[in-house]
Amino acid sequence: MRIENMIYIYGAVCASMILFNLVYNLLLTRSQPRMERRCRRIKAGVEAQLQESREKGQINPSHLSLLGRRLRRVNNLIAFNRALEELFEGRPEEKADYLHQIQSVMLSLALVYRTRNDMQAAYFAYFLSRTMQLRQMPIDSLQDIMLDYIGKHNLYCRVNGLNALYDFGTAERVAQALRIQDDGTVFLHEKILTEGLLSYKGDHDELIHILWSRLYTYSTHTKLAILNYIRFRSGDYCREMFSIMQDGREDKELRLSAIRYFGKYVYPPALNPLLTFLADPSPEHWEYATVAASSLANYAGERVISALTEALHSTSWYVRSAASQSLEHHHVNYSDLIDVVAGQDRYAREMITYRLESRKLRKQEVTPS
Amino acid sequence: MMDAFKLFFDYVGAFFILYMIGYASFLFLSVTVGSSVLYQLKQRNKLKNELQSEYYIPVSILVPAYNEAVTIEASIRSLLALEYKLYEIVVVDDGSQDDTSRIVCEAFRMQQISRPIQRKIPCQPEEFVFESHEWGVPITLIRKKNGGKADALNMGINACRYPYFICMDADSVLQYDSLEKIVRPVLEEGNVVAVGGAVRPCNGAEIENGRVISYHMPDRIIPCMQVLEYDRSFLAARILFDKFNGSVIISGAFGLFKKNIVIDAGGYDPTTMGEDMELVIKLHVFCREHNIPYRMRYATDAICWTQAPEHLKDLCRQRRRWHIGLFQSMIRHRQIFLNTKYGLVGMISYLYFLFYELLSPYIELFGLFTVVLAFAVDLINVPFMILFFAIYVVYSAILSLTAFFARIHTIDLKLTVTDTLKAVGLCVAEISCLRFILAWTRATALIGYRRKKHSWGTIQRQTIKFK
Repeated sequence: MRIENMIYIYGAVCASMILFNLVYNLLLTRSQPRMERRCRRIKAGVEAQLQESREKGQINPSHLSLLGRRLRRVNNLIAFNRALEELFEGRPEEKADYLHQIQSVMLSLALVYRTRNDMQAAYFAYFLSRTMQLRQMPIDSLQDIMLDYIGKHNLYCRVNGLNALYDFGTAERVAQALRIQDDGTVFLHEKILTEGLLSYKGDHDELIHILWSRLYTYSTHTKLAILNYIRFRSGDYCREMFSIMQDGREDKELRLSAIRYFGKYVYPPALNPLLTFLADPSPEHWEYATVAASSLANYAGERVISALTEALHSTSWYVRSAASQSLEHHHVNYSDLIDVVAGQDRYAREMITYRLESRKLRKQEVTPS
Repeated sequence: MMDAFKLFFDYVGAFFILYMIGYASFLFLSVTVGSSVLYQLKQRNKLKNELQSEYYIPVSILVPAYNEAVTIEASIRSLLALEYKLYEIVVVDDGSQDDTSRIVCEAFRMQQISRPIQRKIPCQPEEFVFESHEWGVPITLIRKKNGGKADALNMGINACRYPYFICMDADSVLQYDSLEKIVRPVLEEGNVVAVGGAVRPCNGAEIENGRVISYHMPDRIIPCMQVLEYDRSFLAARILFDKFNGSVIISGAFGLFKKNIVIDAGGYDPTTMGEDMELVIKLHVFCREHNIPYRMRYATDAICWTQAPEHLKDLCRQRRRWHIGLFQSMIRHRQIFLNTKYGLVGMISYLYFLFYELLSPYIELFGLFTVVLAFAVDLINVPFMILFFAIYVVYSAILSLTAFFARIHTIDLKLTVTDTLKAVGLCVAEISCLRFILAWTRATALIGYRRKKHSWGTIQRQTIKFK
């Protein structure tokens, strides 16, 4: 009897699943035209307001209250976003003017969506990042509300919220946002943080200055993202990076990031430490030696060439590989490296031969037709 | 004598009731969880709850090839069309007897080079290495002594440059956005060591530059049934296992792995036929024994289109290989069976694969044998038996169709009425006929399997019609 009941229950749930499928399919086929209709209606409304704005200097207050009511529904918000994108394509000034006039609506919606489920809140943050790209509305209170979105324990709320702040936030708010996301509850890959910071639309020098002044308030993970960001944006932090590179108590990844910094920005005082890293034979320090070998690609001089040539005999495959790459970058040729090419060390010989052949190959290659 | 028969059938009946309840519950759970995850994913995409495409993690694509002269060029061209910024292609020709290497060299204007390859995992030596950098994406061709697919993959791991690698089959095609999608779980969670992609039969699909232009159910019956089977068994079940980090299979046709952890675990095992499953179980064991926090994820929207066998003979051959691989992997890692040290992988995943995959053909055939026996001694209620079988078919068919339609709807594929009718009709045929043929194939798979230890699976290849 129990088994029969079980069969009935399973059967009923299966039947409801099929029913759900059918209904969903039906809704799906109708949702696209419905969205198109919504989009058209919104576009027409906005067009009318733009016309009114041209004639009377401002949009009608009833439009604001209508938007305030309608955009509380997430499907309308999606349609509104799409309508704005289509309507203002190639008309940034008009878009800026319109958005400026509906600031109050955005603010009230930000408060509404802050209390919605994470998925909808994340969409609102995405919407803001799409519409506020012109940085015409750095409203303080909106930025403060965005910090609440970033405080939610949801990856997409955080990422979309951060993206919104990168678009219209001040450097101070971005630095605060990074601190909030650093609470350890949601993992944000350092690549997401670095790429996000690089997309910041404001003054990067100001942002870097603030971030650096608070560097030690962040976790190592966020610090690493910040150091990588600085490496891509500014060569003004050589002294600071130098001290991180030389600090033996500092985290390994941070020190490696600092070494990479000196691969991008040549800093003469860093040369000796880089050569020291490269010459370190200790197997547990192979990562420092490898990154130093790569960084030395941009440092000229006999000492560098000789240190890199010596590194071709390293016991670490990675050090040999990085050294050969840097030597290639220094445009050494077979005759400069005859001792290695004709030498007894097969590993060193193979590595440098490969690099030199590889360079020859690249020169021969033509662009594909 | 009759009493003995009755007692025997009582026990058999009790066993099968428990067995079928277990299976029905699993199937039910997997399809409901799988469908709801797919719909949730669609909703998430609609509300832009996804990482945008600006974040790139460098990825090496490993393409092991053996006698793939017919498909290799199209496969590599499709890889070059992928929408991803930072990746390389490493083709490993495992001593093909046809023109695989020559075709690759000529088609992509490859140049021979003496490239040193670090042997982090033992594998057969390379015969020559070719490279080309003129296609925007670096292509490397390594021709090596024959050693089997696992050995070719190990060579690829040794040679590749990036921290994550993707293994795929030379006869498969990745969808244009598949790299971006398969990498996302790595960005979403810090400790992801492997991500499985969704493998779909491409028979019936028209694909241009990695995009599906049109889709219909395959014309032939065998691949058509496999479409339904893939959705039920692969899609739904894998989503369920993913929920508790219990995936033990990442298809060799499309999976992403963190290179250093695979190297530390010893790479692919060249002595097994199911090297893909063996590696995944090995990674579970390795991470748990070394207390490494890890996650294995399944990316339902990272799609790889593969050629499903068109003929029953090829299908049986493929399934025989899979079954041997399953057997070898499970035997090799039998220590995890019901071992709490390995968490739910040992308690649920292993148990499921043991009873409902490895032993299922024997159990099913035993079931058929007892039905015949019971009929012979007149101890069976024939109308009830037919009713029971009908319930089984209808129940399985509904679940198959639910998984199938959930997948179709959530990736915005449009089906014609003919396709829908075909799906409905063939899912019944798949459950009531093909399943038993494949049960027999799997049941006999282990006979003489040791002789085929290193062999590559071969099915009749067709030129890939991807534009």
